[in-house]
Amino acid sequence: MIKNALASALIWLIAMLITGVFAWLLADIIIHGLPHLSWSFLVEAPGNAGRSGGIGPVIISTGLILLVAVITAVPFGLATAVLLSEFTQRNSRLGRLVRGSLDVLSGVPSIVFGLFGNAFFCIYLGLGFSILSGGLTLACMILPILIRTAEEGLQATPNDYRLASAALGMSRSATLVHLLLPAATPALIAGLMLGLGRAVAETAALIFTSGYVDRMPDSLFDSGRALSVHIYDLSMNVAGGDANAYSSALVLILLLLFINSIALSLANHWLHRSVVTV
Amino acid sequence: MKKLGIVVTLIVLTGAVWGLLRIQSNETKIEKLVLTGSSTIAPLAAEIGKRFESFHSNVRVDVQTGGSSRGISDARAGLANIGMASRGLKEDEKDLLNFTIALDGVSIILNKSNPVNALDKQQIIDIYTGKIANWKEVGGNDAAITVVSKAEGRSTLELFLHYFSLKNTDIKPQVIIGDNQQGIKTVAGNPDAIGYVSVGAAEYEAGQGAVIKLLPLAGIAASVENVRNRSFPLSRPLNLVTRGEPGGVARQFIDFASSPQVNDLIEAQFFVPVAH
Repeated sequence: MIKNALASALIWLIAMLITGVFAWLLADIIIHGLPHLSWSFLVEAPGNAGRSGGIGPVIISTGLILLVAVITAVPFGLATAVLLSEFTQRNSRLGRLVRGSLDVLSGVPSIVFGLFGNAFFCIYLGLGFSILSGGLTLACMILPILIRTAEEGLQATPNDYRLASAALGMSRSATLVHLLLPAATPALIAGLMLGLGRAVAETAALIFTSGYVDRMPDSLFDSGRALSVHIYDLSMNVAGGDANAYSSALVLILLLLFINSIALSLANHWLHRSVVTV
Repeated sequence: MKKLGIVVTLIVLTGAVWGLLRIQSNETKIEKLVLTGSSTIAPLAAEIGKRFESFHSNVRVDVQTGGSSRGISDARAGLANIGMASRGLKEDEKDLLNFTIALDGVSIILNKSNPVNALDKQQIIDIYTGKIANWKEVGGNDAAITVVSKAEGRSTLELFLHYFSLKNTDIKPQVIIGDNQQGIKTVAGNPDAIGYVSVGAAEYEAGQGAVIKLLPLAGIAASVENVRNRSFPLSRPLNLVTRGEPGGVARQFIDFASSPQVNDLIEAQFFVPVAH
């Protein structure tokens, strides 16, 4: 009896501790960041190396970088996941090779992706420091997590679906589009959110690819500073930039919540429209 | 069928990228000036760039960071029009030209609660080489010294090593940091730490209530004033470097950055202007 009570007390304590750390972090950012947060902070350009002014161009650049990353990573990720789960045997050589390389890729530190992106996209492909380079580098970075979650989602759909639709004479592509992908949507969205979460917090991969320029970008070929790079620069490189760094961190958290809620509502929307409800 | 779909997607994506590239190459009327290098100079260069753009509407100044060594190698390789280096050029870098736009001093900093108020040159060398490991040996508390040093490639490190005639392998640091702000935060958060950072940044942060103090060097107080009158011994130039004589926009930018028109920007970044 006492043992039981002790065990549950311990579990509660650990859970509270973890929640407490998160709450502390959030409270710290809100307390320091909220006083400077205003509409003008969100739309104005940074001034005096970021100490004054706002983060308007930085938010736009961040959004564009994420957009490039998602638009590139989702088709490739989805296609690879479909290949792995629907068109190869679990233990085939190709499947093992692709899965193995994805596992290695997902463990690669982001600075390595940054240096790769700099060498390949910026210099070799001649894209220079640009939002495109940054977005493509992030796409490479989030692909492994995207593919693995999408693959798990597809494999989790009951095999009865495949058998039943084959019995009805549906083609494999029709089965995929009308049954399997809708059924796997929650997993796909979860993977996308995990990937986006990693991407939006990325500094090391972006400072050498999308760069440091805090001007409003005219095109995807312009260098654009991401929010995380801006926060890093303000807190680590600019004396007196702490206040705006806190506010920018708050905006980053709000942006992440916003992206997550959009993704969730999209997932719900698609689920209601699909043939299969899980 | 599906393979065909994937192939089509690939072709469309490649086409889209190429299309975007073509559009870009057709509208390059705007002249781009790329600066890379020292993270110390980068915020200043970005501000000078903004003011320069306001006078030259057809020019865009893109500033990227990565450290002085990167600035020098990018300028040499032609990846950047102008490199930024917060140190003088070394012997094997004399193939490049350098233009000093401002000065910065490097100061030894301690936590404010540390009773030690001055260290002589030999004591600092002994602390950084690990011969002195406890503050009581230099008249402080009985506490182990936390030696904070900078990462390889940082010009502050090179300047520090040069002044104290040390090699990086001689230094026995407990903490290795990158930027000035990181150094100030590390020392402010550890009462037994010793570090070295930019005088301008340290003076500003100390004035803003950071729990650090700047140690005098060879009897001369570490202050922006003493860097300006060049009496402070541990100071460094902030340089723009180019491969060969700069022409066109690069020339204009360097002239602009060396003129008194940007003195207020230099002072706003806690550096010391050289132009009068």
